[in-house]
Amino acid sequence: MAEQHFVVIGNGPAGNEAALTLREHAPEARVTIISRERGGCFRPHFLPRFVVGKLAEEDLYLSSAVSYRDKGIKLRSGQEVVSVHPDKRKIILDHKEIISFDGLIIAVGGRPRIPENLMVFGDLMLTLKTVQDAKVWIRKLNETDTVLMIGGDLTSLSFTKQLVDVGKKVCFALNDDAFWPLRFDRYLYNQVAGRLRENGVEVLEYSRIRGMSLLSDGMIEVNTDYEKVRAGLVGAFFGLKPDIAFLARSGLKIDRGILVDEYLHAGFEGVYATGDCAQVFHPDLRDYWVSIGHDNAVALGRTAALNLIGERVRAEPDMACIFDVQGVQVNSSWWMEF
Amino acid sequence: MSAVDVTIEICGMSGDGTIAAGGLLNGALSAAGFSVLAFDSYPAEIRGFGRCVTRTRAGESEMMALADKTSILISLDDEQSRSRIPFLRDDAVVLFDNRPVVYVGEGQSIAAHLEPKMNPFGIPFGDLAAEVSGARRGRNLTALGALAALFGLPGNAFHGAVKRKFQPKGERVLDANLKCFDAGYQYCRDTFKDRLERISRLGSRDKTGERELLSGNAAISLGALDAGLRLYFGYPITPATPIMEYLAKELPKKGGAVMQMEDEIASIGGVLGSFYAGKRAMTATSGPGFALMTELIAHATVAEIPAVIVDAQRGGPATGLPTKTEQSDLHAAVFGGPGDSARIVLAPTNVSECYYYTARSFGLAEKYQTPVIVLTDFFLDNRVENILPPKNRPEDIENGNVYPDPSKHGVYRRFEDTKTGISPRSIPGTEGFIFRTTGLEHTEEGFPDYSSANHMKMTEKRHRKIEGALTDLPEPVEFSPEGNLDLGVVTWGSTFGAALEAVQRAQGEGLKVGAMKISSIYPYHSDSIRSFMMRCNDILFPELNYEGQLANLIGHLFNKEVLRFNRVTGLPMSATDIYVRIRAIVE
Repeated sequence: MAEQHFVVIGNGPAGNEAALTLREHAPEARVTIISRERGGCFRPHFLPRFVVGKLAEEDLYLSSAVSYRDKGIKLRSGQEVVSVHPDKRKIILDHKEIISFDGLIIAVGGRPRIPENLMVFGDLMLTLKTVQDAKVWIRKLNETDTVLMIGGDLTSLSFTKQLVDVGKKVCFALNDDAFWPLRFDRYLYNQVAGRLRENGVEVLEYSRIRGMSLLSDGMIEVNTDYEKVRAGLVGAFFGLKPDIAFLARSGLKIDRGILVDEYLHAGFEGVYATGDCAQVFHPDLRDYWVSIGHDNAVALGRTAALNLIGERVRAEPDMACIFDVQGVQVNSSWWMEF
Repeated sequence: MSAVDVTIEICGMSGDGTIAAGGLLNGALSAAGFSVLAFDSYPAEIRGFGRCVTRTRAGESEMMALADKTSILISLDDEQSRSRIPFLRDDAVVLFDNRPVVYVGEGQSIAAHLEPKMNPFGIPFGDLAAEVSGARRGRNLTALGALAALFGLPGNAFHGAVKRKFQPKGERVLDANLKCFDAGYQYCRDTFKDRLERISRLGSRDKTGERELLSGNAAISLGALDAGLRLYFGYPITPATPIMEYLAKELPKKGGAVMQMEDEIASIGGVLGSFYAGKRAMTATSGPGFALMTELIAHATVAEIPAVIVDAQRGGPATGLPTKTEQSDLHAAVFGGPGDSARIVLAPTNVSECYYYTARSFGLAEKYQTPVIVLTDFFLDNRVENILPPKNRPEDIENGNVYPDPSKHGVYRRFEDTKTGISPRSIPGTEGFIFRTTGLEHTEEGFPDYSSANHMKMTEKRHRKIEGALTDLPEPVEFSPEGNLDLGVVTWGSTFGAALEAVQRAQGEGLKVGAMKISSIYPYHSDSIRSFMMRCNDILFPELNYEGQLANLIGHLFNKEVLRFNRVTGLPMSATDIYVRIRAIVE
């Protein structure tokens, strides 16, 4: 029998766990991870502590880049998939290399979501999704003590706490439609604003950003509905959106994420989606749910891998953690921990 | 911030412009103020295919050897470049063409073989070149532009190098190459602007303009020209051929001539004839050609005719490994040929010494009326260094001939047994100083004489003369702290740079080790060498030959068996390999 080739796209917590599970349960198979990010799998929720110097870089990583070789997993780091052809069982990389697979797990996660009206200011705002993003923050924080946070997702709250801890002056433009994928209701909004103020953060309530400009002294001036605010750095934190534009012509069903059944199967033989980029059907809810948070990603990654090699494991979210967000059921263990 | 020390490789198939790109890179890095040491390797078969690799080590301090690991690889042909991956650092940056003409299967792109911590940069070399120049063949220039942008190297340094190379080919060719460079540069500035700050910046240094890029072969040629070379006789052979090519262009401008002979025997014959008539001449060859020359070299020792011969060693024996390096001709250079035919053998260790030792060899040959062999090797001949421009030193180029005293008119004895063994030599045809010359053993007057007493006397005279040359030959140089050492590393030729780097690394870690460089292979400075050896518990000879040929020659000067580290890989000696051996011995 020819050697099987399992490909995992993405090396976040879900993709990494999927690859490790495949390695463990299918020792004869060839396992390849293709990741646009460089280096090994890191824990994104540790990034705020890394930025402020409470965590060493090596402690960010679940698996170091070199450890994959020892595990018999081929990690193609810094390489990008540009199209997937599940019917032909082939994927194409940016550098025009065609790779055949017997099984595919798509675990590309998300990328920072910037609202359309703010995209024009993209160059003036920093995000915090990757280790490289974190290094940019580290470098630039050495040059300023003032930070304006725009948005309000989970990362921004965690990050703000760390920035205040190390003596940075943080101003927060808290916005009720910014807390993606969770939307604030009045109660939640007040809770968050109050907590931020208690921690010494200036909160600009219900402020919408109208303009942004770089001043000659290197400061960034931000115009809101009510006032002008100056800061050395501006962070944009509007949550993540599934990074699946490359799947547009794949034939996979896509809504907010890749639509999969409760076994994370994506509708083509041997093709699964998992982690933040999957939108999972729940037979009891008779609806789809999406997942955020490290622990959920790991669990889903393992589930996808087990199903790929022939088991029948259902993706089971903790019902207590399911939130309804604009009609989408969201599972967020991290939020509960936060 | 640590000092810059980076190794850049370009790898492609013959015809990709790999070697040309490497030359431009060296020129630009030199102009940007870096110290540069570079070495190209290419296939032995000259048929327009095969792997070409250029390796350039650049940094702020003097570069003495190639590094073991490469920091940046430019792949102009992924199939060929895959072989270079084992030589890359874990965090190497790899530039490759991400828009090949056709889609490729799994594993055919170099990206498929990179280790996870490496940094691939996919850049459409061919497409960019075709866009701006109408042809993909300018992709080597596009790649250089990409490199300059990614590492913040000054574009004007590259422009200067491109102009120097392509201006003579016309404005259209120059313009196309500049456009290709600029296209790669701009593409990377635009596409990777968020990654540019994440890789180490090389920038430029402040030594611009002081230095000149020269290969070992070019330095040998220049040294010969500056020494007043009049005639060059040669027969093409790798790796010595570039000397003849260089001189064919330059020597006629100085009134001299280059003659390609029918073989190496004719070449050495031409050299002997020239010197016999009082004109400086030279030949350059490699092991197989040197073997053919040995009878006439021995003839020159007995007939006491000056000669300058460059033996550019390559992998042997016989035809061996024509495009690989080795130091296995030492025995042949010192002892090759029939009879007791002592001669002078000098071994430069870097490009600068290639110039000075060649220049000096003419005067030595004249003074001591003997063949002088300049012993180089493929790595030294072909490597490029940017060195301080060599200066024409009077002591190197002065006429070394010792002419007879006018009082000897009519009573001249050509092979007079003097105290030094040097017999004043007249130029043939000088009235009152006519003499006979023969390859047979002869009397002081030059008449054949096979008597025991005469042979003893004349053999001893010729050897006394060569021993006496030591006063004019380069002394060994020590690189060690005072006091006793756990280990002394004795080294010669192109291996010296790697050995010194290894020794300095060990010294930096507190090990009591030292190095000695031997440039005068024969005769050798016994007293200085023995004095160094006696300070050491052990002596190590790293050599690119199987037996340890220098160790065989001078190892007896030590009071116990010397240690050897012999490599015959065809590759230059690795500093790391020597370092590991040093640690193993000392610890």
